[in-house]
Amino acid sequence: MSSILQELESQISGLKTTTSKSNVGIVREIGDGVARIEGLSDVMLNELIEFPGGLYGLALNLEESEVGCILLGDEKEVIEGTEVKTTGRLLSVPVGKGLLGRVVDTLGAPVDGKGPITSSAIYPVEKIAPGIIKRKSVSQPVQTGIMAIDAMIPIGRGQRELIIGDRATGKTTIAIDTIINQARINKANEGKEGFRPLYSIYVGIGQKNSNIARSLAVLEAAGAMPYTIIVTAPASDTATNQYLAPFSGAAMGEWFMDNGMDALIVYDDLSKHAVAYRQVSLLLKRPSGREAYPGDVFYLHSRLLERSARVNEQNGNGSVTALPIIETQAGDVSAYIPTNVISITDGQIYLETDLFYQGIRPAVSVGLSVSRVGSAAQIKGMKQVAGKIKGDLAQFRELAAFAQFGSDLDAKTKGMLDRGARIVELFKQVQYNPLATEVQVATLWAMQNAYFDDVPVDKVKDFQLKLQEYLTTRKDAVLAKIRDKGAIDDDITADLKSAVGDFKSSYR
Amino acid sequence: MKLDKDSRKLSKQLFQASFTDGKLDEGKVRIIAKKIADSKPRNFVGILKDFQRQVRLDVEKHHAVIESAQPLDDAMSKQVVDGLKAKYGPSISSEFKVTPDLIGGLRIKIGSDVFDSSVRSRLDRLETNLLHA
Repeated sequence: MSSILQELESQISGLKTTTSKSNVGIVREIGDGVARIEGLSDVMLNELIEFPGGLYGLALNLEESEVGCILLGDEKEVIEGTEVKTTGRLLSVPVGKGLLGRVVDTLGAPVDGKGPITSSAIYPVEKIAPGIIKRKSVSQPVQTGIMAIDAMIPIGRGQRELIIGDRATGKTTIAIDTIINQARINKANEGKEGFRPLYSIYVGIGQKNSNIARSLAVLEAAGAMPYTIIVTAPASDTATNQYLAPFSGAAMGEWFMDNGMDALIVYDDLSKHAVAYRQVSLLLKRPSGREAYPGDVFYLHSRLLERSARVNEQNGNGSVTALPIIETQAGDVSAYIPTNVISITDGQIYLETDLFYQGIRPAVSVGLSVSRVGSAAQIKGMKQVAGKIKGDLAQFRELAAFAQFGSDLDAKTKGMLDRGARIVELFKQVQYNPLATEVQVATLWAMQNAYFDDVPVDKVKDFQLKLQEYLTTRKDAVLAKIRDKGAIDDDITADLKSAVGDFKSSYR
Repeated sequence: MKLDKDSRKLSKQLFQASFTDGKLDEGKVRIIAKKIADSKPRNFVGILKDFQRQVRLDVEKHHAVIESAQPLDDAMSKQVVDGLKAKYGPSISSEFKVTPDLIGGLRIKIGSDVFDSSVRSRLDRLETNLLHA
């Protein structure tokens, strides 16, 4: 009781200031989540505007005698003539480890019914990205657990890798798989010296609530939520909240980076984000450009994605890796928003509908996917076994197109086609089942060393799964060696030879 | 009603022409308003409305509304007005209002600046602090 009395007293004494000066304005027009306010002569760009009843707005358009303001909540209580005032503050969200395991809205308020969030700090939603001096090149891997990606399109901590593809091609699945894999790695290595956990943030923009609930259920079932924050601005949310959600997520990720930790952030998806921003801009009567998007839609995404970085030791050695998602229409990557985001990011994973329906899942198109960070973000062992795979596969695709016309093939071409068909099989992977790096390395080693060559193509998957099971259950020592050393040396080669040889002789 | 670009431009020009030595000239405002009403250019109602809005905003910038819970005595009123003139210049006009809702203290609004020392605003702040803290 005494503590509440003290609290009240301190609050009352805080109110003893004689006169408060504020800058006010009068709402002249309100509708569609946008208010036009007369007055507010001292307002600053992006400043929070206080409306009566605890509602806030964001000043986005500063005009000669009016201010265009977007509302961060329900506008029902606001009427023409309502007095509003400036706050001198920027929009901020709670950040920190208290958010892990929670589902929050754009403003960082919990929406999962698990009670209030304890956060140690707040961060402004809009923040300038780290400059050149603070940065360091990307060199540590983010293991997605998806063999096709880890082997051919490696992602590094601090990189921005776009996931692009038509609707229902498995874009979100790749992101969710990656989050699950991070949780597995974090759990397995918890407490180990020198281990850097990777925390995940999933930002759902304009998604159906059912989709968010499904992703949440998958993450919970996989035990990934203790390392994950979900920020959601579903389709039923206002355009304002959808526009601000990725920035809130970026602020939460930046806290990890500033405190020397690593974070992974998934923006699902930026096409809907651009649409929400277009809506806000049109309502604010900003001039529209191509496809009615405002002129600064490129800056919108570039300033967001620039906030992903790897900072150097003097600045905490943390990182924020971004996996933005873009949904294309009928595979058109040359549309406005896709080309914008492709040019901003450090590479893209392109998912093709055709491959998806051929049963090649994840439907990664090897030809169009690229990681501009390259093998700098791969462990040595993976580089040793996966170095030539992308080339082999590209050659296979080229030859496969030719081979359809001719029947007589020389032995070399036939060998290449056989190898390619097997690699394609090898990279098929069921969803929500990421593979450990050492298992990937061992499997690819077996492929490179011709252990798969005499397995019929339709048996490759079965052979692979059984081999993986054999290795994890019976030959864990070899996998542990690969895990610890991170490379394949003569000793490990000998072990792998005997292990895979033993398995092959018993396989039927 | 939305005003078209040309009318808005015209009303702005007329407003800029209503100044003498940096101060809004009442005489000029009257003449301009009368001229518009007489000559009736295209969309003249809209132009007049926009012109009136700009004049109103400028007048509000130099006009102080002093609200108190009870009528202020002359000495106090003079002190308040002098204080405002010292801060905002001698051309400030003022208006006194009695608003019992304030409970006590003063609330002065000049342009978009508000100085509030009323009991009402303190209670409101207390309410916000207790509800949203």
